[in-house]
Amino acid sequence: MTKAPVDVCIIGSGAGGAPMALELGRAGFKVVVLEKGAHYHPKDFVHDEILNSRRNFFMPLPWEEPHLWRKGPTARYERSNSAWTANCVGGGTVHMSGYFYRLKPVDFRLRSTLGDVKGANLADWPISYEEFAPFYDKAEAELGVSGEARPHPFAEPRSGPYPLPPLDVHPIANEIDRVCGEMKWHSLSTARGIISKPYKGRSACVYCALCGSYGCEMGAKSGTNANVIPAALATGNVELRPKCMARSVEVDKEGRAKSVIYLDAEGVEQEQPAKIIVVSCTSVESARLLLNSTSSRFPKGLANGSGLVGKNLMFSSFGEARATFRLSKQKAARPWLAEPAPFVNRSLQDFYVMPDDRFGFRKGGTLGFMWTHPNPIFAAVGMAGSGKDGVFGKALKDKMRAYRDSRILQFEVYGEFLATPGTYVTVEPNVKDKYGIPVAAITVDRHPMDFAATRFLVERGEEVLARLDPDEMQRVGIAGETTILQHGTCRFGSDPATSVLDKDCRAHEVPNLYVVDGSFMPSAGSVPSTLTIAANSFRVASNLVRKLKKG
Amino acid sequence: MARKRSSGRLTRRSFIQRLTFFGGGVVLLGSTACKRPAEETPKAEKTAEAPSVGDSPHGTFTGLEFSTMAAASERIVPRDEDPGAKDANVPAYIDRILQTPEMKQMKTDFLQGLAALERRARSMFKKGFAEATPEQQDELLTIFKDSGEGSGEAHFYELLVVLTLEGFLGDPSYGGNKGRVGWHLVGFDTVGTVAMAPPEGYDGPKCLRECGDHR
Repeated sequence: MTKAPVDVCIIGSGAGGAPMALELGRAGFKVVVLEKGAHYHPKDFVHDEILNSRRNFFMPLPWEEPHLWRKGPTARYERSNSAWTANCVGGGTVHMSGYFYRLKPVDFRLRSTLGDVKGANLADWPISYEEFAPFYDKAEAELGVSGEARPHPFAEPRSGPYPLPPLDVHPIANEIDRVCGEMKWHSLSTARGIISKPYKGRSACVYCALCGSYGCEMGAKSGTNANVIPAALATGNVELRPKCMARSVEVDKEGRAKSVIYLDAEGVEQEQPAKIIVVSCTSVESARLLLNSTSSRFPKGLANGSGLVGKNLMFSSFGEARATFRLSKQKAARPWLAEPAPFVNRSLQDFYVMPDDRFGFRKGGTLGFMWTHPNPIFAAVGMAGSGKDGVFGKALKDKMRAYRDSRILQFEVYGEFLATPGTYVTVEPNVKDKYGIPVAAITVDRHPMDFAATRFLVERGEEVLARLDPDEMQRVGIAGETTILQHGTCRFGSDPATSVLDKDCRAHEVPNLYVVDGSFMPSAGSVPSTLTIAANSFRVASNLVRKLKKG
Repeated sequence: MARKRSSGRLTRRSFIQRLTFFGGGVVLLGSTACKRPAEETPKAEKTAEAPSVGDSPHGTFTGLEFSTMAAASERIVPRDEDPGAKDANVPAYIDRILQTPEMKQMKTDFLQGLAALERRARSMFKKGFAEATPEQQDELLTIFKDSGEGSGEAHFYELLVVLTLEGFLGDPSYGGNKGRVGWHLVGFDTVGTVAMAPPEGYDGPKCLRECGDHR
């Protein structure tokens, strides 16, 4: 059935889609938001690990909606649930941890900084940090960010303080500050998309320990579901349609986007015509939607005359190590270790860019320190392990008892993930999801510099952990990727031969089609990208509103 | 077991399908969650009908299967100075969670693995798994554990461990973690209080069935 036409149809309600809906609704345009997942409310967010993390409350089931995944172009695809983020109103911002870093000026000119790196496909952004920064301010104010700017060698310029003071932290943060200081490194306070004080009618964080991977029943986590979506709906101009899965974007004879075909909550096919169509379903899923939107005008997929849709996929390079403190052994020296305060909120960015390549790389990244996630089933499954290293019985119970006597500090690496010709998204016509739509197929072939950088960062983090006098240390990984952080499948740039989108995130080939998730990013930066995606969406919305008002 | 019978119920492909989602940080076992019956996906491959539970008091298992499963889960988390799987009602959890329609494939795999465990016990020890000594049970579970990635034995062992730990450490409203003994063992009773673990009266299985349907 064909619905009544609207000004703008937005596909996706996460960090990218929601700010667009808010700004267009505020400006008086009629907007429909199609969201694949359900609309959860605070009462739905309970700290039940089985519900939240072990079933399909947030993530699709891999046998119903698989992603295909392979390492290198000759490997066989495996079905996976990698590279999904939450499917619900608010998207990945609902179950995120909310590490709200900004990119740094160097991230906007990676190609100029590093030169032509062999085996990588680097590009500068068509805009500078200085042009982008006002929208970081805007996004921080709209969403609510708690933080404290500290000076350091790679500090990005800010126009003022964070909207909210930093969250309270565990006393271990002071020790991290001290040992970093001893090494002449700069321990930073990690900005969080979690509000430390009441803000815009939302309650402040109550410091429960189960944050990342859960929705926040207090509304203190700055997901777009907490504030942006409700504010958009309050304009009276925005209609939100949950459980609606977009199948394709259709074009008219002139090659302009004219409508979105989707399956509604009852599984019935619908068509939503709109003057402007905005795609924001994550880098992997947006590429999939465009590649599945074929027509005689765009036989290779919408806006894909260049063949670039799906290319230059980037995740975030991942490494991790842990330090375990036994409470019984450390009780006398550090009685405060047992305090339940959930946040550590310390980061290191001293190795964001190296002055030369003596360690095999120049672009490094960020180390974020935190307590390990307290989900007990997740922790115990990790203790049990598998195969020859796996344990059960008394050995497993001893590990569980030791865990009770422990605080485990970890760091995560957010390392540069250089774009390569071998890392991309395609669609696989023969593998379909439960809707009958061909699924996304992901091929990953990473640049060796990423691994050199990530290993280096893990080693530096381990130096910090070792100086904290833990009872045990464990390296978890030095060569992983964080697939919930996705970028690059529809790069923006000024040259249509090398980019899918223009500077305003409008498709070069389709004048009324926009993409506003992480797809636009020519480089991923070496921090989690949620805040950047939201800020960019506010920027794109601001330019679009101005353009539409001009007529 | 399955390697020899790979032309049968448990194909290589279905292994890969399921093994991949055990690998990552987020483990999904499937559920009834958020599904209307009309949306239930057709099975990718034919599976044999699960054995009839008959007049067993259990929902998933026959009486014999239940004892085998209970004995196996007790070896994963045995009672010592702290409570074990049976004390926490883990067998009841496993019986209950495997009844959810979206875990049908898991249930088939689990029952098949359980039957293989029982057969192997009879051939090795000349008695059922539940009647074998704890040392014999551990010996057999170790064989399953070490059978190698992709083997039916390792797949069953992984299912057993994951379901046992879910039952031991999940919200008590799912039928396991009786008296929160699992949470106490790992110290989550203190963290969980701060974390506002679901309140008394919370019904996880109901939420799992109805999540997302807030119309």
